[in-house]
Amino acid sequence: MKGYSRLKVLLEKEIKDLFRDRKALLTTVLLPLISLPSIGVFTLLLISQQPVNIALIDEDNSYYVNPELNVAMSSDWVVGNLTLALTSRGYSVVNLPSRSEALENNSIDLIIIIPSGFSRNATSVDSVGQVEILRRANVQPALNAEGVARGILNAISVNLSLIKIARLYEKAGLDPGVFKPEAFRDPVSTGPTILLSPEGERVGVEAELRTYIARLLVIAFAFVVTPASAFVIDGIIGERQRKTLELLLASPASLGEILAAKIIVATILGLLASLADITALLAYVGSLVLAYGGQLFILLDPGLLLLHSVTSFFTILVTVAIATPFITRTRGIRSAGNVAGLITSVAIVFFFLGFFIDFPKLEANVLNMLQIIPYTQSILSVQNYIYGRPDLSIINLLALALLSSLILLIAVKTVDKEKILLTQD
Amino acid sequence: MPNLLLEVRNIRKTYGKKILAVDNLSFHVMEGEIYGLIGPNGAGKTTSLRIIAGLIKPDGGEVLIRGVNVHESLKNNRRMIGYLPEEANTYPLLTGMEHLKIYGGLYGASSEDLEFGARITGLGNRLLKKTSEYSHGMKRRLLLGAVLMTKPRLAILDEPTSGLDVHAGVSVRKTIRNYVKSTGAAAIVSSHNMLEIEYLCDRIGLIFKGKIIEEGRPRELIEKYGVANLEEVFTLLVRGVES
Repeated sequence: MKGYSRLKVLLEKEIKDLFRDRKALLTTVLLPLISLPSIGVFTLLLISQQPVNIALIDEDNSYYVNPELNVAMSSDWVVGNLTLALTSRGYSVVNLPSRSEALENNSIDLIIIIPSGFSRNATSVDSVGQVEILRRANVQPALNAEGVARGILNAISVNLSLIKIARLYEKAGLDPGVFKPEAFRDPVSTGPTILLSPEGERVGVEAELRTYIARLLVIAFAFVVTPASAFVIDGIIGERQRKTLELLLASPASLGEILAAKIIVATILGLLASLADITALLAYVGSLVLAYGGQLFILLDPGLLLLHSVTSFFTILVTVAIATPFITRTRGIRSAGNVAGLITSVAIVFFFLGFFIDFPKLEANVLNMLQIIPYTQSILSVQNYIYGRPDLSIINLLALALLSSLILLIAVKTVDKEKILLTQD
Repeated sequence: MPNLLLEVRNIRKTYGKKILAVDNLSFHVMEGEIYGLIGPNGAGKTTSLRIIAGLIKPDGGEVLIRGVNVHESLKNNRRMIGYLPEEANTYPLLTGMEHLKIYGGLYGASSEDLEFGARITGLGNRLLKKTSEYSHGMKRRLLLGAVLMTKPRLAILDEPTSGLDVHAGVSVRKTIRNYVKSTGAAAIVSSHNMLEIEYLCDRIGLIFKGKIIEEGRPRELIEKYGVANLEEVFTLLVRGVES
């Protein structure tokens, strides 16, 4: 009987054993499917339950016309503009008579004060109309609201300064057709940023979102290596403890065939978890994209998804292949779990690095050193694809496949049947 | 005249530096013979059986099946050996029939072999149920069927009736006896149950502290030591060695 026939029998056994354990299977696949969208839904729900309260205090409460420039300003008008802009963005705005009342109220996160003399100063030729902003520290949504308020005040300031410049032209008898107020107000200006692809072609904002998704896909590798290791632990240590391993070891199947079947099925399980992760990730990011009026199709790059699935397969394979020789030498599921945890921790560290760092941009000597670690190939495979280098991406994938096969071979060859059998649990 | 099937020559096994599990153990088994290996707990029975089954390498000595060293030609010998470990268990989510197919598949069993295995188990339609629904006795019969279905020339059965009730024990003993008689194969059976050994085995070896301290046909040994049964032979010999 050929080795592959025995491997087929062993694979069928492992797959039947796995797929009939519905609880374990559902936990592995459903957990990521539920958890990521849940984070999104609960975040949105809780944000709406945690409104940012803003107090506007008009201490100036005046309307002033500068007699020299004939420029008018009303503090009430400024407060009205701020109220409109902030309430339209969902912030809760109250007008309070005094700053002391706002400061005493703990529920107020942001206080905007128009001080006495604001209208006079803003329209004057020798002074500036100050607006005071007080914000409670460590309230992130209040920081966003502050940004909105500063934007409105900046727009008011720009408009007011243009009017003042125009009035000065009139006084000086300058032709506004020649002397443009904008040229004096903003002599240096920057246009909107133009986004470029790695090849230098113009791309839309979705390109940035794609890069962000690629980073998330790298992080997603971290979630798929853990269930696979747990399955291998159960497959080896668990079988020994349940007294089913010895009969297998006594059969014509070699230890390599027995382990290979377990590792392959563990990898399939990891791949299922990976697909569940990606589906959940797309559901989560997709809902955000739709919420902000974007188009969902920009997320659905079949090439990237296929690449991620294949890379996940080999990433899981390499992880369980590294873990197997250690797992087989440990006593009991607990210590095997610790060993596997240590190896998956290294993987997780790398995938978090991949979230923050663009590996293809690393210095050659640093990158070359990292290349021998298989997880570098996993990260490069996804990142090179995003950077428009599918050729390099395929090379990275092949290198990962080669490394994982080599490590699997070493793992299977170095495991000792006697040690597996005789280790006391 | 039956042929020599198994020859165990001076095998030795030490665990770590201190535990001498098997100490220059030697015996032989002829074709068509059931050989009983009896001894107290920790005497070295399971280690000896594992060495003969090719699961553990001895530190010294050799195991020959039809003159071929088991450990040097393990791949070829695997098919000649059927091994039932003492504490073997089943996969609870798989059916009895699936167990037969898996173990049969590993040995390259034919559909006739599967039918033969199914008959040995005596489980009938219950083979289609998951083994989580099986009693201990049913599991033991299933695994015995899985081990014997490919008709190994040497069946190594470590405590085959351990934990079984009287009825199930009788059934398993009958199965082993019939198997050896119908196929002409040999079997090595280890057990604590002296009555079982007396009924089942053609010859026995009494193992103590890793060595065979007495060997012979059960009836001959009882007569030799002038006692009523094998249990008394066993007690007498162990006491003699210890003193």
